[in-house]
Amino acid sequence: MPPMTLLQTIAMGLIQIVAVLIVVFIMVPLLTFAERKVIGYAQVRLGATRTAGGRKGFTASLNRGMWAMGKVPVLSFFRGLPVFVADAVKLITKEDIIPAKADRAVFTLAPILSVVAAFGVFSAIAYYPGVMFYMPKSWPLIGGLPFNGAIADVNVGLLFILGLASVGVYGIVLGAWASNSKYPLLGGLRSAAQIVSYEVPLTLSLLPAVILAGTLNFKDMSVILSTGQGMSPLAVIPLFIGFFIYTTCGFAETNRVPFDLPEAETELVAGFHTEYSGMKFGFFYLAEYANMIVVSCLATAFFFGGYYLLPFGLQRIIPASVPFLGHPSFLFFMAKVSLLLFVFIWVRATLPRYRYDQLMDVGWKYLIPLSLVNLFIAAVIRYAF
Amino acid sequence: MFKSEELEINLGPQHPSTHGVLRVKLRLDGETVVSCTPVIGYLHRGLEKICENKTYFQGQVWTDRMDYVAAISNNLGWVEGVEKLFGIETPRRARYIRTMLTEMNRIASHLLWLATHALDIGAMTVFLYAFREREFLLDLFEAFCGARLTTTAFRIGGLREDLPPGFVKQARAFQAIFPERLEEYETLLSENRIWKKRTVGVARITAEDCIALGVTGPVLRAAGVPYDIRKAFPSAAYAEMDFEIPTRPEADTYARYLVRLAEMRQSHRIIQQCLDGLPEGPVMAKIPKILKSEVNEVYHAIEAPKGELGYYFVGEKGGVNPYRMHVRAPSFVNLQALPKMIEGRLLADVIAAIGTLDVVLGEIDR
Repeated sequence: MPPMTLLQTIAMGLIQIVAVLIVVFIMVPLLTFAERKVIGYAQVRLGATRTAGGRKGFTASLNRGMWAMGKVPVLSFFRGLPVFVADAVKLITKEDIIPAKADRAVFTLAPILSVVAAFGVFSAIAYYPGVMFYMPKSWPLIGGLPFNGAIADVNVGLLFILGLASVGVYGIVLGAWASNSKYPLLGGLRSAAQIVSYEVPLTLSLLPAVILAGTLNFKDMSVILSTGQGMSPLAVIPLFIGFFIYTTCGFAETNRVPFDLPEAETELVAGFHTEYSGMKFGFFYLAEYANMIVVSCLATAFFFGGYYLLPFGLQRIIPASVPFLGHPSFLFFMAKVSLLLFVFIWVRATLPRYRYDQLMDVGWKYLIPLSLVNLFIAAVIRYAF
Repeated sequence: MFKSEELEINLGPQHPSTHGVLRVKLRLDGETVVSCTPVIGYLHRGLEKICENKTYFQGQVWTDRMDYVAAISNNLGWVEGVEKLFGIETPRRARYIRTMLTEMNRIASHLLWLATHALDIGAMTVFLYAFREREFLLDLFEAFCGARLTTTAFRIGGLREDLPPGFVKQARAFQAIFPERLEEYETLLSENRIWKKRTVGVARITAEDCIALGVTGPVLRAAGVPYDIRKAFPSAAYAEMDFEIPTRPEADTYARYLVRLAEMRQSHRIIQQCLDGLPEGPVMAKIPKILKSEVNEVYHAIEAPKGELGYYFVGEKGGVNPYRMHVRAPSFVNLQALPKMIEGRLLADVIAAIGTLDVVLGEIDR
């Protein structure tokens, strides 16, 4: 195949960016919908589990055929789906209030920073190793060009992702500070301390994976770690421990229960976004859910088997000759991401919230030593076996 | 160049976890509470003065609006106080039904406490589970007297009506499901590490301090003092009931949680005894249409879900309404313990402490 011209590169890049953005923008509302449903079932919420929409009006139009036949719609499980459309409309049309004494520029910048950092990370994530499909030959300009599994195959992808993800905290801290209000200030302080503390074990928990894989490229790491090529079978141990440390820190990074202190609603009203409304609040909201997806993607790629069926380097049990199960698949990746997202929601329905000092205890006294030990184990396994 | 300042912050009156319109003025050093002053009065309606201008029959309606999650307890205190003032004997069946409903109300009130307390600490699921059972009880109240919260359940001299048909069956249905539902809450909380971290050793107050401040109810019992008015000065049919007073020695938030759960079990036991031993007979004593008092005074206390609820009546000669009426509201007295519990601790503990005191602002401000 001849090398791509500049125009073709730009065109393919744009197509991939748009495709990923569309997927993410669909996934985030779906995630809020899933959260409503899962929590609804976990907590016996009558509204979320039974609201069907009437036999008349907009919601019924989706199910009208079934109603007409005198049946409860097949779509009944998805009833309540229009709620996320309503959510989006509400967020966009609501009055956007900036407090009189707020720092207007920073106040506006903060949610943008948050959302850009969260969405930027998606550019370096590989959803499939290699080429997913080729564009149809008949299309002008881009006909026959490959559609890659990642927008940008960065050779230090992991560094890029970690760096960009930690920019997101500036959004929270600046937003809290710019609000010029006391509750957001407390939320911002908590957030700064929390994210600084949890970045350390988060990064340390990924290092064993880097050591074992011997590369920082997202796609290569994922493939090596899940197929276990060139790795000792003992590598399962550090990967397994690393997975739990990483997921725990992931909860803290995304401000989810039990680490949702920056926005602890019963203590700080709404924490850092107390003064935000309208789409500015919507951006923080989007960023939180996008971050959940990012954390799930990373956990899946590095620890949970990535594009292959079995996690923790166990894929070697299944030879590559087995159809479907032996091969990498985009479906496996998304299924695992969905499973982890479900865990996020499940935990929210189960656990109470840590106190500020206890949160610090968990981070500094348990997670960091544990991840250092894990790093040591990984290093020993890499060079001794 | 650098200087540190204490941050003064108003927790409430509009705040999600101050349970109404409590305002707590906090001075914070970072997140540590330096001083704490509860400010009350946002819900003051002059209830005691109003009751002085109402007849003894009319006054009871106003007691519903004090502790609105335990209106039946308030009613019980009022009607028994007035009965004591006039020396009225109530029929045994009426006393049994009163006991049963009051205990149901105690469970409903404790469930609301559990729900909101758990929500404050972040355990959202318990909130909805507890409301599910409370709904069952409120349906029972509605069947009995037509109202769910502001019940005005009893009449001076007994009850207005006997139990409606089907009530006993429904109550037994509740009795059958409730123990396992309690265990469901316990599986979510009792051994939950985060829950224990947030509650064990938090908002501690010693028995001496409790007695000095006049704190009663589960807070006192969780400090190891087995003081329960149902045992100490039994009224209604409590003298005939077999139940225990749960106490704990630790005096912290977790102990109060355990004590209240144990109290729900004891209430469940009392309701069972009331249902099994419900005597036949009339539910209303013969009383005059108009109650005219002598010069007389009476203090009558009952064990409300929050603690000692006392009614103080002074009658004047020939008066149809009390000359003076005062309510000793448990939430009001218990709230005094808040600064002692939380000064020097963290902001998150303030929320736990307000939750564990189980205050209802309608009762504090009256």
